[in-house]
Amino acid sequence: MTTITVHCLGAFRALGDSLVIDVSDLSVASIRAAVSSSLVAMERADLNTVLTRSVFAEGDELLKDHVTISGREVSLLPPVAGG
Amino acid sequence: MDLFARNDGEHYLCGLIDGPCQIVGLDLLVQDAAHGAIAQFFGVVRNHNEGLTAVAVDYDVHPELALKALDDLCEDLCTNYPVKLVMIHSRGLVRVGEASVVIAASSTHRKDALGAVSEAIDQLKIRVPIWKKEIGPDDEQRWLDGHSLRKD
Repeated sequence: MTTITVHCLGAFRALGDSLVIDVSDLSVASIRAAVSSSLVAMERADLNTVLTRSVFAEGDELLKDHVTISGREVSLLPPVAGG
Repeated sequence: MDLFARNDGEHYLCGLIDGPCQIVGLDLLVQDAAHGAIAQFFGVVRNHNEGLTAVAVDYDVHPELALKALDDLCEDLCTNYPVKLVMIHSRGLVRVGEASVVIAASSTHRKDALGAVSEAIDQLKIRVPIWKKEIGPDDEQRWLDGHSLRKD
């Protein structure tokens, strides 16, 4: 298992500025699954509907789920609502 | 304006500012002796949304990604419209009546400036990683839903 830090933005700030999760591999799909499990464990399963519509980013790159990250930190971006 | 993040392109300036945006003097940033039109848009926090009373909006921003998205958007707009453009968005608390986003464009004739400003705010809302938390009169808070950036 590898430990990953997920920086929380928008609605995910309710969980704190970041989450620390363990993943079996470094694919975005695995990170997404681990975050989903964490939401259930934190009794915030309601945020899973937001998670489904959210995207992960590493640095300034938005990531698709099949991508493998190179570092150990990602940002979790819920649907955007600027303006 | 005291921007904490900014990018300067050949024909544009985009940036992020802590707190409300300044409105006065925005037109000076796009003035050009060859341009006969200046169009401006100010996005201002209003006192109601979806039937609820609001007193402020707290904007959350991913600075690196937001600046990159603003820069990409300005590049696209300046490719599609022959304009001089400025686009600035707030981070943090913006109260009712204050501006959270300001956009100005100048062009030789009005059509391009008006078109660029209109497209700028439409695209900003769906492309730039910024989130708003609406704050009510009793400090109740709710994150507003938005546009997914997910492509898969």
